[in-house]
Amino acid sequence: MMTEDKILWVARYVEGDMDEAEIAEFETQLKSDDELQQNLKDYNHIHQSLKMKLANNDEFKDTLKGFNKQYFGEEPKVISFKPALKWLSGIAAILVIGLFIWAPWNANLYDTYADDSQMLVTERGAATLTDLDKAAALYNEKNYESAKTALGKLYIKQSSNTMIAYYYGLSLIKTNALDEARKVLIVIYEGESVFKYEAAYSIALSYLKEDKKADAKTWLQKIPAGTTKYELAKELLGKM
Amino acid sequence: MAKTVHQDQRYLVALLNNDAGLINEIYKKSAGKVKSFVIFNNGTANDAEDIFQEALVDIYNQAKYKDLQLTCPFEPFLLLVCKRKWLNTLKKKSVLQVTNSEDDLLLIGEDTFEQAEQLADQAAQSEIFLKAFEKLGERCKEIIKWSMQGDAQEKVAEALGVTYGYLRKKKSECMASLIKLVQVNK
Repeated sequence: MMTEDKILWVARYVEGDMDEAEIAEFETQLKSDDELQQNLKDYNHIHQSLKMKLANNDEFKDTLKGFNKQYFGEEPKVISFKPALKWLSGIAAILVIGLFIWAPWNANLYDTYADDSQMLVTERGAATLTDLDKAAALYNEKNYESAKTALGKLYIKQSSNTMIAYYYGLSLIKTNALDEARKVLIVIYEGESVFKYEAAYSIALSYLKEDKKADAKTWLQKIPAGTTKYELAKELLGKM
Repeated sequence: MAKTVHQDQRYLVALLNNDAGLINEIYKKSAGKVKSFVIFNNGTANDAEDIFQEALVDIYNQAKYKDLQLTCPFEPFLLLVCKRKWLNTLKKKSVLQVTNSEDDLLLIGEDTFEQAEQLADQAAQSEIFLKAFEKLGERCKEIIKWSMQGDAQEKVAEALGVTYGYLRKKKSECMASLIKLVQVNK
């Protein structure tokens, strides 16, 4: 048998394109044929190596992307000014501090700092809209009452999906179901998902919404440096 | 003689199972180190992020499709893979000044080097096979790509609008063409 035919023969064996008689013949030949053994080994190697490039690993990559944001996100760098500028920045700082003390916007810290991010559902090229797509669309249109109902249903079915839980929690906050929201968000905070500190931040905001500043502060302080919400939390703590 | 599998194999299992808790632990332990190494050697935090993700995907692939068994501890292995990747990137950019911290590499066992080497070889070979794959006809590419998505082959046949028998026959022929292409280019 020619080498080329052997390659096709191996392919048909591995892919199951043989009847029983052929399989038996192949396996008998395999025992004594070194070339055929090598061909079979090469086939499996090439098949699996190519699979590394072609198979779908979106779910795994999504997980990594979440952590990348958390661990490689850059914090703003400290910029050093020239001496002459220091005076100017000093004056500016005094003005800014003055503004903060006066703080005409303070009454509405919640509105300024609430998480207004969009709920991004990974597209998987499906032509039909899933319930998750629909819920996300309602949420992004700021139709929080309807989003709450839709996300609530999904949450019951898939309570371990932290993305659903997180946005369900947010829609509860937006519709003033604050105690309910905190119950959902605390579970996320106690877990180890990418939404862990996002959840802590939103719990803080939920307390802020009912003007419980001490509770809000406690939760903001749980957010460690280097995570995405850290800068915002620090800023908000400064204003309270 | 077969080497014993290291207890850190559990990290590979975590990657395969998309176990966020343990993956978080991997990031917590190693991300900062890779970030410092890359930034110290003419890179940015973004470069470090890319390198780190690539390394984890390579390890995941090797574990999933080639049954990688870890015979060395995970962390030094991952760090070595990342360092090599970054040094290669620099080489390509022909930036020559690299602070090669050989001193900490001295603490790494031979097994770790060997496994990192294998991983790099494997990644390079996958690249070669992908290039050969790109040279196939459209229909062959479609059939191979779909059949490798991990779904049951019966479903793949349905999605492609062919019978299961036809799919097996066609895939065998296409894979045989691919392997001939690879061998010609050797």
